[in-house]
Amino acid sequence: MRSVASKLLNGVLLVLGVTFISFLLMVWFGPDQTYTLIGKNASPEQIEDVRRQLGYDQPFWQRYGEYLRELATLDLGASNASGESVRALLARTVPVSLLLMIPGFLLGNLLGIALGLTAARHRGRWGDRVVTVLSVTAMSISFLVVIIAFQVLLSTPYGLDLFPVRGWQVDGFVSYLQYVTVPTLALVFVTVGYNTRFYRALFVEEYGKDHIRTARAFGAPERLILWKHVLKNSMVPIVTRIMFSIPLVVISGSLLLESYFGIPGIGQATFEAITSGDQPVLKAVVGLTAVAFVLIQTATELLYRLLDPRVAR
Amino acid sequence: MRRRHTIALALAAGFALLLAACDTGGPSGDQPSAASVYRHAMDGAPRSLDPAQASNVYAKMLTVSLFDTLYRYKYLARPYQLTPNLAEAMPRVSADGLIYTIRLRPDARFIDDPAFPGGQGRAVTAQDFVYSMKRHFDPKTRSQGSWLWQDRIVGMAQWAERGADYDQEVPGLRALDEHTVQVQLVSPFPQFTHTLAQGFAAIVPREAVEKYGAEFAIRPVGSGPYRLQRFDSSGAVLARNQGFRQQPFSLADEGFDAATQGHLGLEVLEGLVPPLTDRIEVSFIAEDAARWNAFIAGEVDFIKAPVTQFDRILSSRQPAALTAELAEHYQLAANLESGFVHTDFNMDDPRIGRHTDPVQNARNAALRCAIVKAFDWDRRNEVFYYGIGQVFPGIIPPVAEEFDPSNGDEWIRRDLKAARKLLGDAGWHAGNLPELEYGFPSSVTERQMFEQFRSFMGEIGYPPEKIRPLTFATYGDYARAYLNREVMLITTGWTMDYPDAENTMQLFYGPNATPGSNSANYDNPEYDRLYRAAATMAPSPMRTSMYRSMNRLLLDDCATISGISRTLILLWDRNVTMLPDRSFVGGFYFPFVAAAEGEPRH
Amino acid sequence: MNGRVETWSRLKGDPAGVAGLLIVGVFLLLAAGVWAGVLGQGWADASGGRWESPGAEHWFGTNVLGQDIFERSVYSVRTAFEIGLVVAVLSTLLGAALGALSGWYARTWVDGTVMWLKGVLDAIPFYLFVAAVAYALQGRPWAMHLAMVATFWTTTGRLVRAEVLKLRGQDFVRAARTVGLSDARILLRHVLPNTSHILLVQGTLALVAAIKTEVILSFLGLGVQDGVSWGLMLAESTQEVPAGHFANFAAASGMLFALLMGFNLLADALQDAMDPRQASL
Repeated sequence: MRSVASKLLNGVLLVLGVTFISFLLMVWFGPDQTYTLIGKNASPEQIEDVRRQLGYDQPFWQRYGEYLRELATLDLGASNASGESVRALLARTVPVSLLLMIPGFLLGNLLGIALGLTAARHRGRWGDRVVTVLSVTAMSISFLVVIIAFQVLLSTPYGLDLFPVRGWQVDGFVSYLQYVTVPTLALVFVTVGYNTRFYRALFVEEYGKDHIRTARAFGAPERLILWKHVLKNSMVPIVTRIMFSIPLVVISGSLLLESYFGIPGIGQATFEAITSGDQPVLKAVVGLTAVAFVLIQTATELLYRLLDPRVAR
Repeated sequence: MRRRHTIALALAAGFALLLAACDTGGPSGDQPSAASVYRHAMDGAPRSLDPAQASNVYAKMLTVSLFDTLYRYKYLARPYQLTPNLAEAMPRVSADGLIYTIRLRPDARFIDDPAFPGGQGRAVTAQDFVYSMKRHFDPKTRSQGSWLWQDRIVGMAQWAERGADYDQEVPGLRALDEHTVQVQLVSPFPQFTHTLAQGFAAIVPREAVEKYGAEFAIRPVGSGPYRLQRFDSSGAVLARNQGFRQQPFSLADEGFDAATQGHLGLEVLEGLVPPLTDRIEVSFIAEDAARWNAFIAGEVDFIKAPVTQFDRILSSRQPAALTAELAEHYQLAANLESGFVHTDFNMDDPRIGRHTDPVQNARNAALRCAIVKAFDWDRRNEVFYYGIGQVFPGIIPPVAEEFDPSNGDEWIRRDLKAARKLLGDAGWHAGNLPELEYGFPSSVTERQMFEQFRSFMGEIGYPPEKIRPLTFATYGDYARAYLNREVMLITTGWTMDYPDAENTMQLFYGPNATPGSNSANYDNPEYDRLYRAAATMAPSPMRTSMYRSMNRLLLDDCATISGISRTLILLWDRNVTMLPDRSFVGGFYFPFVAAAEGEPRH
Repeated sequence: MNGRVETWSRLKGDPAGVAGLLIVGVFLLLAAGVWAGVLGQGWADASGGRWESPGAEHWFGTNVLGQDIFERSVYSVRTAFEIGLVVAVLSTLLGAALGALSGWYARTWVDGTVMWLKGVLDAIPFYLFVAAVAYALQGRPWAMHLAMVATFWTTTGRLVRAEVLKLRGQDFVRAARTVGLSDARILLRHVLPNTSHILLVQGTLALVAAIKTEVILSFLGLGVQDGVSWGLMLAESTQEVPAGHFANFAAASGMLFALLMGFNLLADALQDAMDPRQASL
């Protein structure tokens, strides 16, 4: 019970910390949105009016306190730029980001696991070398380069011209596939190198364990060793890793993918909010991301304790 | 084994649920497939569709399709001409030019919407116009267009001060009856009717604004030819407003000129009732590459071609013509933009502008003039505008009536010798030249323009280390900086709100100094005197000569490096019959677009 | 613990590591040349023709302004190293310091604070954090470095903390404490040097990450403001590629790839060479 309570306290402190730093950076020091909301020939009085409406004249602690209250009561307000309620904005953009990122995220990890296994099994031999070289190569190519190249190769007449260049007109499974394929391929390409590396190291460690050598000495078939011993024992670190990467990869939405492929997701919306200083949107996204991150982290740690037989209860 | 299967199944199920929940209401969902569709691509996105806040060109194109304005510009007449839209006729103006009486058409109706009692739309009345105008002066609206009528309408300022109560009358803005409006101006304002053809002057229903509040910006309820079906950061879908007033298309009324417009095939549209297309799908694609790819792949029917493609799509520059391969599928229009780009000096900065010491003042003037003469407009035009932009001296752009084509090119022709002489005579040299801070919002093109400027100045001996970039992450930040006089060299563009040079002359009127639109903070009493005298004059040869004098004053003072009007290359699919326009006609041409029916063509 | 000699000989025997070292060496020479004012000085000169093909005068051709792409690519090596080295060194130092403190005073308020800080920084989506810092610092040139250092130290910190925890229980440390050496002295003189294998590898990885991040930041307009970098060149190229001009894209992505590949190979080889478990094979 004590550990649960301390975990909760930790969580709350984390959320406070995140909201404080984010508020400081993005809201207090953030861009002054006044100048995007005034017309061509604004008078100083009009500018003052708008500034006051946006709350720029209030002291720091008042604004921060107001922010925490809004977060606690989920009173998120509406975007200053478009007038859309933040809840509606989140409801509209978060599913899109999830649909965009999940396939690539899962595939990237699955592929990483498969390649890592191959490399670990053939450790030191050419299979390992090939996988290692491929993953280092993939890690050395900038995400940006990959996105530009894939778009040219797959979506334009210079290349295969099989997919739409950009956009997200999804109204069924087929159109979903059309729009999500190129971004997914780009995402997989970029993450597979890092994933492979991590999983390779993990499996190498597993394969090196004593009980594997014992099983081999007893003549157990390779496949059994693979599934029953190596993978099973690796489940915990694998799941931990995946869960820990979820917030970073999926919740924040991939800014680059969304902006380059014109996908109306939460990453793009947040970036626009940061650059224009649209406080309600920013505050909501940052606050909710923090809470979600903390929740997932706590859940993962609890899960870890439950599943890992080595950890004493 | 089984655990893994269950996990996979759970994931798949969750996925499918997510997909089902994410019904973005795609366009093909609820329309009969035989509907005609025009697919338009814009190189930017509107933020708000509330007419009071629709300040960028993208928003304006959409608001005039969703709402009605009293006046608009004729679809085909060039030069651009005003014509009644929701008004029955041009306004009746009193002899002293102060009172405008306008009758509204009785057959305009707002679309059905839950904001109205019973969900039924109602007729548009004069009170609606009064309400829409009043809104601009209510601080809660945060109007971006109120400057058009600031201090112009009798009693408006007092109404705002007294608390902006909509049930209170404004003496200068009255509804004489259901269909008659009367406006009383503080002083003669010859461009007043033009301001009523702006997106800002669109008519909105009070019920919807009060019901939706801030959300009205994304839930427009208007009386225009289209209604909004979908709107997000990637695009918008407009559907025909079935109840739109019937006004048959007449080529003559729209100013058709067979000589220049005969090749467009518009004659078949004579007598048809706009809006001619059932649905308009607008895509917001800011990245040039993506937009071009979408056009070539047949995903959109219209594009303002990015400059980087001009090389490959044009077979000749003057007159602009497509390559044979493209001409088979597409039509082209080469339009001069209704604005211009220029670089101002912040005259308020003693390092480069006005200085209290007369000697230093003169030296600063010489420096500015040297910079102006060292600027290579031809090269700027060639690199960034494909050489088809039109360079002109001063601030009366070629699209304005008052433009003087016989103006000499001394202020736009590069003269390195004269520039160096100016510097030498005034005692400037590499050691004592001031550090120039060139401000720009961070983007590839702006940065390249800065580097080109630095390169130009290098040729008159300006040390490159003394020309520094002052970058801003967004345009809003940049605006804040130069509106607060923090930027030394301000590169900016101006898009004319109406085809009258008064709109550009006000850019250097002293009292309009920042935070107004006089971003150069220019202050010349003679210029101001002429401006005030011309302000109440209707367009005339006398006024034109006054404007040209003001232009010369500005050029002699070297307050600005000005300017160039871009030539926009508009391309559209041959299956679409229209004459697109990105300046004053803007979104007003949407109802006249005739697109073919059904599925994509390529 | 591996001795330096052992590590070096293992590294020499690894062909991938040697390749990495050579590549990095070549680029380092290029950067040095630019710093010395010998190479890449004509990067801003816009006097060439527009989009000239590669030739005798402009080895990689020119961009739309007429600037020499080769000069710009070479100058970008300096930019990359500057950012990479500053961020790598500072973030590694910060990570080492905070990680050591955290591990040494484990389960006290010091540890708690550092872990809390780490959790907070990890919870904020990276590019959003960097964008926010860039705005907060009004586009000053070191805004980007600061943002990167502020987030990159966490991985190093975590690894150092774990290592320090392990070392804390070892004999030589206990001996030093019994003798009465101060905490600071023990940390600096005895504990931290034994984390050098972690620091070196993490530093290299941070360098790679910094260069990659700068590319994306410059592309978004938040990175390098005056000067040229591969990120800026790639940003330019997005307008040129659809028009059929690939020189900018090829030069920037090619050189970027080569440098990153070199560092990645080197980092991998270093990790293998310094890994105590390798000794047992």
